[in-house]
Amino acid sequence: MISAHSVSKSFDDGLTHSVRDLDLDVRAGEFLVLLGESGSGKTTTLKMLNGLIAPTSGTIVVDGEDIAGVDQVVLRRHIGYVFQGIGLFPHLTVAENVALVPMLLGWPRPEREARVDELLVLVKLDPKTYRSRAPSELSGGQRQRVGIARALAGRPKIVLMDEPFGALDPITRDHLQMEYQNIHRELGLTTVMVTHDITESLILADRIAVMSEGRLIRLGEPADLVAEPGDPYVAELLETPRRQAGRLGDLLDAAGGAR
Amino acid sequence: MNDNLARQLEILPLNLSHHLKITVIALAIGVAVGLPLSILIARKKSLRYPVLTAIGVIQTVPSLALLALMVPLMAALSGFVQRFTGSGFSFFGLYPTVAALSLYSLLPIVRNSVTGILGVEPTLTEAARGLGMTDRQTLFKVELPLALPVIVAGLRTATVWVVGTATLATPVGQRSLGNYIFSGLQTRNWLAVLFGCVAAAALAVTLDFLIGALERAAAERRRKLAIAAFVGLAVLFGGGLVAPTLVAQYRGTGGSDAVSIGSKTFTEQYILASLFQQTFNDAGIPSRRVENLGSTFGLDALAQGEIDVFVDYTGTIWANSMKRSGPADRERVLAEVTEWLAAERGIRSLGSLGFENAYALAMRRDQAEALGIATIADLAPHASKLSIGGDYEFFERPEWRSIQDTYDLDFSREDTFDSTFMYQAAATGQVDVISAFTTDGRIDAFDLVVLDDPQGAIPPYDALLLLSPRVADREDVAAALSPLVGEIGEDLMRSANGLVDRDADKKPPSAAARELRGWIDERGSTSPIP
Repeated sequence: MISAHSVSKSFDDGLTHSVRDLDLDVRAGEFLVLLGESGSGKTTTLKMLNGLIAPTSGTIVVDGEDIAGVDQVVLRRHIGYVFQGIGLFPHLTVAENVALVPMLLGWPRPEREARVDELLVLVKLDPKTYRSRAPSELSGGQRQRVGIARALAGRPKIVLMDEPFGALDPITRDHLQMEYQNIHRELGLTTVMVTHDITESLILADRIAVMSEGRLIRLGEPADLVAEPGDPYVAELLETPRRQAGRLGDLLDAAGGAR
Repeated sequence: MNDNLARQLEILPLNLSHHLKITVIALAIGVAVGLPLSILIARKKSLRYPVLTAIGVIQTVPSLALLALMVPLMAALSGFVQRFTGSGFSFFGLYPTVAALSLYSLLPIVRNSVTGILGVEPTLTEAARGLGMTDRQTLFKVELPLALPVIVAGLRTATVWVVGTATLATPVGQRSLGNYIFSGLQTRNWLAVLFGCVAAAALAVTLDFLIGALERAAAERRRKLAIAAFVGLAVLFGGGLVAPTLVAQYRGTGGSDAVSIGSKTFTEQYILASLFQQTFNDAGIPSRRVENLGSTFGLDALAQGEIDVFVDYTGTIWANSMKRSGPADRERVLAEVTEWLAAERGIRSLGSLGFENAYALAMRRDQAEALGIATIADLAPHASKLSIGGDYEFFERPEWRSIQDTYDLDFSREDTFDSTFMYQAAATGQVDVISAFTTDGRIDAFDLVVLDDPQGAIPPYDALLLLSPRVADREDVAAALSPLVGEIGEDLMRSANGLVDRDADKKPPSAAARELRGWIDERGSTSPIP
């Protein structure tokens, strides 16, 4: 569905590289997580996938076409994008935010309106209550639901997500993670999500791509990564959730023993 | 109601509508130029500093000077256009005014728009791009809507500035609320000055309120408030743009073959313009007035046909336009000026009205007597202990150099005054000698004496009645005005000026003109003056 061939990105004429020699294939229907610390090049990679950032070298192929050769404005309208910090437009209502991409795609009004209702239902917001609200009148979780609805409005096959749940409280985050995973499956989407949250990546991903200092250092299914880190950095990354899970398990055992 | 107040109210629709017209045109141009410019420099960082600096510098030019500078600039532009298209445009009145005010409005409009656009959160512009908006769509659907409250705030500042500055359009021949202020100052009609100030302030406050409502509507996204504010502005400006036509139609003087009567910025000129207008009314010739022309613009405006009837003085044309200097004989100056006007400017002179309004040196009677001064020559030994006051142009004029050279005068101090205050300054001893005009009613009113000029250092200033090339051949115009030629003696003119310039039982120029006509008619049969 998406493939990157020896893609590099330098912002200072080759002095330093944000992304270096990246080769990555994202399969159709896959939920791929780009995992790494800040500065690892994961967000740059994501933005190169829909042309928001142009690679310094290498090629990116989306749906069989080299994106350097297509109109990238059109390309972006066909790829859903959920932004870090959500990025809802404060001067537009919920419905207008969601209907933006269909409008850019030139859908007729009745179709757009119907799509807005359909999506608000999908992200569990009552259309009657929320359609004409301003983003400033929503909670953080509700805003990100609208952000997801907006990304899906143009019926994209691919959705890119940049730390979409980072700013949410743990309970809301958990709900939204599960709900999005369902949407991903039901609609048969191909999702690439950037996160620095190891637990989140283990829960959601079909495959995890671990990035460090601009390089892809490990690519594999969550179970493989846990069983066989294969790299000291990956092993260190996994240490935290492993320890937390261990402690939690002990607590649960103790509670069970007492009962 | 007070007569004076009634007269001010009568011309309010005309002055207000012109004021609104120049305001709306200047602001429209300001926005039309300023907004694209702001978008450009918001995008191109390298242009931002130079452009903002340039329009900041424009702002530092005093507004009156900026307006005045636009006249020669527009004249040059008009000449340039004429070379290519065969016809120039009016470089006087509306165009220079609008040019200067538009430039003035740029700073608040551009500074706010740039700040507004750059103030849009980068996450939002990135989101716009990420969703597949083109640069254009990002600008129109995200950046400009989000910057709108700040942009409107800039427009609001610009509007208040322009309304205030537009009062200074009067001296370049553009009617505005400034007409109250300028003619009020010249005729010492303080009610008119106050009326003009209050009217301009009321207009500024009203517009500030309406655009403030628009700003609030933009910030809080309140559609109904925005509509209400727009309706208010539309009514105000719509009225402003239509009113001149309505007023002109109502008075039947709007047509282009109306003869336009120009006047400079002092009492005598207002009275003469009123006199001509009354004469035209009786002859059934439609006419209109263009008041308060800066001294040097008048002749250019006349040659251009911006105005059709104008009184100018031989000495002024001799020195300023023909660049002649040195003592000269009255008859010779009159003949040469008449010939020069016809040959160089196509202006027809109907002849001298019968009086001279010369520059002269004047001083307090008691002081002159105490020092034994009767002529300018007598001044020389005392000059180093005396101060002299002049109007705005006097010390720059060739006559002043001629007086200084001829009589070897060196005063202790030279002060510049508005002529309104100059006579008073002499009367109250703030200056000792002033540059008076020989027909000025205030010479008598303040008990000043005019000093003789035995060497003829000051050229003669016969008042010529001039017609523009446009109406030079209209015999009805010439026939209506000719009876006035040679009929207004210095005594008549000074008496008429005195009716306006005195403090007690002050008359408006139009009433003084009616009195003057009466005296002229009387003198036709008998002789003594009132």
